[in-house]
Amino acid sequence: MNSLATLRVLVEMAIRDLGAHWVKSLIVGSLLAFGTFLVVTGGALLDSISTSMEESITSSLAGHLQVYSADAEDSLELFGGTVMGTADLGEIDEWGPVRDTILGIEHVEHAVPMGITQAVVFGRSEIDRVLEALAAAVDEGDVARQQALLGHVRTISATLREEIESRSITSSDPEQAAEDLAAVEEVMSADFDARLAEDPGEALIFLDTRIAPLAQDGQLYYLRCIGTDLDEFSEVFDRFRIVDGQMIPEGRRGLLLSKRFYEIWGKMTVARNLDAFKNRLEEGRRIAGDATFENLVKANAAQYQRVLFQLEPGEVGPLMTTLKGVMGTAAPDSEAPEEILEAFLLVDDDTFAARYDAFYEHIAPLITIYELPVGGVVTLRGFTKSGYMRALNVRIWGTYEFTGLEKSDLAGASNLVDLVTFRDLYGKMSAAQQAELEDIRVEAGIADVSRDDAEAALFGEGGLFGSQERTIEEPEEEELVDEEELDEEEELDEAVTASLIDDRVYSKAEMVEGMVLNAAVVLDDPVHMPVVQAEIESLAESEGLGLQVVDWQTAAGIVGQLTYVLRGVLLVAIFVIFLVTLVIINNTMVMATMDRTTEIGTMRAIGAQRRFVIVLFLLETVILGLVSGAVGGVLAIAFVGWLGHVGVPAVQDILVLLFAGPRLYPTLSLGNLLTGVVVVTAISLLSTLYPSVLAARVPPVVAMRGKE
Amino acid sequence: MATPSAEPAAASSAPIVSLREVIKDYPLGKLTVRAVRGVDLDIEAGEFTVIAGPSGSGKTTLLNMIGCIDTATSGTVLVGGQDTAQLSDRKLTQLRLDTLGFIFQSFNLVNVLDAFQNVQFPLLLQGRYSAAERKDMVEGLLQRVGLGDQIHKRPNELSGGQRQRVAIARALVTTPRIVLADEPTANLDSKTGNDIVDLMRELNRDEGTTFIFSTHDQNVIDRADRIVRIVDGLIADDTAQQRVQDPGA
Repeated sequence: MNSLATLRVLVEMAIRDLGAHWVKSLIVGSLLAFGTFLVVTGGALLDSISTSMEESITSSLAGHLQVYSADAEDSLELFGGTVMGTADLGEIDEWGPVRDTILGIEHVEHAVPMGITQAVVFGRSEIDRVLEALAAAVDEGDVARQQALLGHVRTISATLREEIESRSITSSDPEQAAEDLAAVEEVMSADFDARLAEDPGEALIFLDTRIAPLAQDGQLYYLRCIGTDLDEFSEVFDRFRIVDGQMIPEGRRGLLLSKRFYEIWGKMTVARNLDAFKNRLEEGRRIAGDATFENLVKANAAQYQRVLFQLEPGEVGPLMTTLKGVMGTAAPDSEAPEEILEAFLLVDDDTFAARYDAFYEHIAPLITIYELPVGGVVTLRGFTKSGYMRALNVRIWGTYEFTGLEKSDLAGASNLVDLVTFRDLYGKMSAAQQAELEDIRVEAGIADVSRDDAEAALFGEGGLFGSQERTIEEPEEEELVDEEELDEEEELDEAVTASLIDDRVYSKAEMVEGMVLNAAVVLDDPVHMPVVQAEIESLAESEGLGLQVVDWQTAAGIVGQLTYVLRGVLLVAIFVIFLVTLVIINNTMVMATMDRTTEIGTMRAIGAQRRFVIVLFLLETVILGLVSGAVGGVLAIAFVGWLGHVGVPAVQDILVLLFAGPRLYPTLSLGNLLTGVVVVTAISLLSTLYPSVLAARVPPVVAMRGKE
Repeated sequence: MATPSAEPAAASSAPIVSLREVIKDYPLGKLTVRAVRGVDLDIEAGEFTVIAGPSGSGKTTLLNMIGCIDTATSGTVLVGGQDTAQLSDRKLTQLRLDTLGFIFQSFNLVNVLDAFQNVQFPLLLQGRYSAAERKDMVEGLLQRVGLGDQIHKRPNELSGGQRQRVAIARALVTTPRIVLADEPTANLDSKTGNDIVDLMRELNRDEGTTFIFSTHDQNVIDRADRIVRIVDGLIADDTAQQRVQDPGA
């Protein structure tokens, strides 16, 4: 047999047939090329995402494996997930033995203890802030400043009066409304100056108890706190870095806010909105013509009061002059600060840049931009496992972020605290720990605040409820340390709460030993994950540690499953494309068979077996498939290469985490290409199977037809 | 495999084509049309036979059954001594490849192949010859049909007569014992048609190849050894005739 020559002629015929029916070839070829392009590109992107996601998750919170109690009611979801509030993860009562066991396993490099809990912080309302400042001015006997601040209180009171008046129409308690109105009128009357001068204490109490409650409360913050051994944490997770402030010093208690949380939730509304607008504009969107965007700008401008409230009366005039200067001809004729500020905040595409800069240059220094300032002290309130609410004062040492994940809300969802603070917030301790903590309290002075004291901590020294009851004394030397370390501009906070902060230096053992919820296990090489996981499981079993072990993908919760979801979506897309391709190729080939019955019949008549016809048809599509596949593959190589050069922007928050950064730089593997080739060949063959069998069934007698 | 015509005993003693009581029915909607209504016919090796008759008389059907590309509804068709009804599609295909050559009214060349490749095509299917042998055989035949200088032209670059010459070369390249020609001159002008018939007569005389035509071209009919007239699916007349003229002689 001379099958090689036959094959040659078959290939030659197939190629020439493809050329002869070039329109059909072009359509089918384009589909196959596109399909290949999709398979290769999609595969490369997904592989790159898998790799980068693994990198970002394992190098931020998760490590390679996570261990937690076998008694957990819920599953561990490090980046937050489906369980609202605090998931019940059970507890690892004593970290020491567990750590020693885990560190004894081959390939384990680190074990970082952790605990996840929720805390609430009440931000101060504007009037609280002003009253604090007024109390301080009274203490210092600064009469001019007292006057200025009282003016500020009156500005706020004017607004309150309007609110009460409009509310009184619908109020169910008109008497109360009348009383409130009287109180506000009292403050606004000239008599109040005298009252403040005569008995500042009484006047302040009046303001604190009668006026302050009328103003809207400060913001309520929900903080997701992860307690951990911060030294270990910062060493193991090399993406971790401090942005503002400083790392919590060794052995000290404190809070590190997530930079993302700090910027988005901790920032004053107007400033935060302007930041968001800036981002949108940088993304290439425009205000004009975008109804949603326009409304956002309007809504933000309507919040001018938030700025105005914070300004002291003496600051308003000069600021308004400056703002009018920035606005130029666009400035309103009115001299009313409300109108000027609102007009200033009503930005458009042309004025935004200048006004954004002006806001930060001229307005920001006069107001509080961050409600939870770095260096300041906040009262964290935790709903403990024991059922009562726990409040404790914690210093915000700084903000942190994970390099590359700066823009990810998911990666930035958690704030970090030391383990002692975590245990306090979590509130469930072993008997031994409780006894130990009692000793510490007696020794060092109480650190945490009872429910009643928390009020005082919250509203400051001027608050009425806590100050008289508070009996705890602070050792003097600790106070000295405080003053050195606190920022000067945070003196106010210090004055209010320094005595309530636990500034003791803890030993490593005190910090780390004891109850934790979970722990990140970091290996020397992720390939050992299954082995180490099994090892920990069996050791936990034999030593009765009561642990369960999950890999990072499971521990990441819904985020970890995302690559599966994406892969699923891609598979479905590819499946649909190829189903369509299959149908189209099948149809065109069936049509081609019809067109070519005479040719096929002739070949059959002069002695070609059915097999020959089948091979000819299959060969045509396979050749087309390989050529198109090569074209699609080359395009994919070029495209992925280009993406790898410019990067794929993470337009959605979750993508930042998946991409391990603001951009993904995908790479393409030989495996991706081979998959493309295999898939396209399979599709070509499959889609031509039926037409070629159909062709083979063409009876040779049709060669005689088409005449007479 | 031995050469296909290596059955001298059978060839000399029995007719190369033998039809007995052959009936062919075609379904036409709900009706059945009987195209061939009981034909007995023997054709001896080396004959130059014309099956003549008006359109729709059943001459092409008869030719198809002899050519093993159609099967009889009943009766026996023996080609080269083999009962075609007993053969599988595969065996029938092999029989067509080795024993039969086809010349079609519309030439039926493979358009994407050039003259050489079209002629070579059956040889490739046979797979018996080396590339050099094939080249000699194909080029020899193309010379013989007068296309020695056109061997690498595609069908669409050739005239009707040239195409039919390529088709003749393709039909003869395997040296078949029987060549079937279905109205080979119908699509050609009379001058070219005459030339083509002359060529086939010449090959018949030189190679001893059996030629069976279906035609109603009087020029072809006049030059046949034997004329089988078909009317309404039956043989109306079967006459051997003296050749009018043999320009090749």
